[in-house]
Amino acid sequence: MIEAPAGTAWYVYGVAEDDPTLARLEGVELIRDSGLTAVVRAVPLEEYDEAALPERLNDRDWLERNARAHEDVLQEVAAVTAVVPLRFGAIYRSRDQVLGMLDERAGEFRSTLERVRGHVELGVKAWVDLPSLERTLGGDEVAAGSAGAAYLQRRRQEQERSRQATARCAELAEEAHRRLSEVAVAAVANRPQPRELTGRTEAMVLNGAYLVRSGDDLLRLEVERLGKEHSSDGVEYELTGPWPPHNFAEERT
Amino acid sequence: MVERRSLAEQVTLLDLVDRVLNKGVVVTGDVTLSVADVDLVYVGLRLLLASAATLEREAAR
Repeated sequence: MIEAPAGTAWYVYGVAEDDPTLARLEGVELIRDSGLTAVVRAVPLEEYDEAALPERLNDRDWLERNARAHEDVLQEVAAVTAVVPLRFGAIYRSRDQVLGMLDERAGEFRSTLERVRGHVELGVKAWVDLPSLERTLGGDEVAAGSAGAAYLQRRRQEQERSRQATARCAELAEEAHRRLSEVAVAAVANRPQPRELTGRTEAMVLNGAYLVRSGDDLLRLEVERLGKEHSSDGVEYELTGPWPPHNFAEERT
Repeated sequence: MVERRSLAEQVTLLDLVDRVLNKGVVVTGDVTLSVADVDLVYVGLRLLLASAATLEREAAR
């Protein structure tokens, strides 16, 4: 197919290394240029209209459907060959414009493909149950005395314990990220997802992404070790992936 | 190469948004958006409301 049907445009999911097997993928088209392949699909233009977009992004069903479609396509491509994931919503009216983008960014795509080829991204989150962590910090018993004095002392102790808990969380997260980075080719510590969004009672203290060689087990083993060592601190680790290398798609600055 | 995993495998929407909307190479599409320019607070707020609603439903059970 050369041009997107009327009323549609090319949505570009990612840029892959050229591979004949890509032609077997269903539901996507390939736009090729000198060793690079843009994996695209025709989408209705009106869905991605600039004016409508904030509304669309606020539509949970629309967002979920399209974010999953984006991820599904990238996973199918990554199962076949190296791919540079593009960010959600890269849309071009014509094949020529996709070719223009490939040409303009060719150097960057090639060096990223070189870097991620044969690798996968794994996600590691650390969750802390704050009450458990605070219990491990202990603290002095409240001294006897007048009710008012005891109350004030208790308040001070609570504040001190909460300050210590925060410091301990940072320490644990830092240690985990450092150790995981040592068994990864590249690592990124993203901002932990806020509790309001996760809906969990535990606090997320680490939201890391790690690039590892495909089939390499070291990171998973390190996550298990961390889980054992930190369980008495009320910390739980969660491993996700393998993901396409979303977090390692941009040129390192 | 990524080991093939079931596409039906559940990944949280938040994890997806974290990656699909917040990461990946930004290119300048010629039609409409660069989502990078869209304040993801929009998305965040809506997700917030949605997850709060879920919690309420669960609490009501």
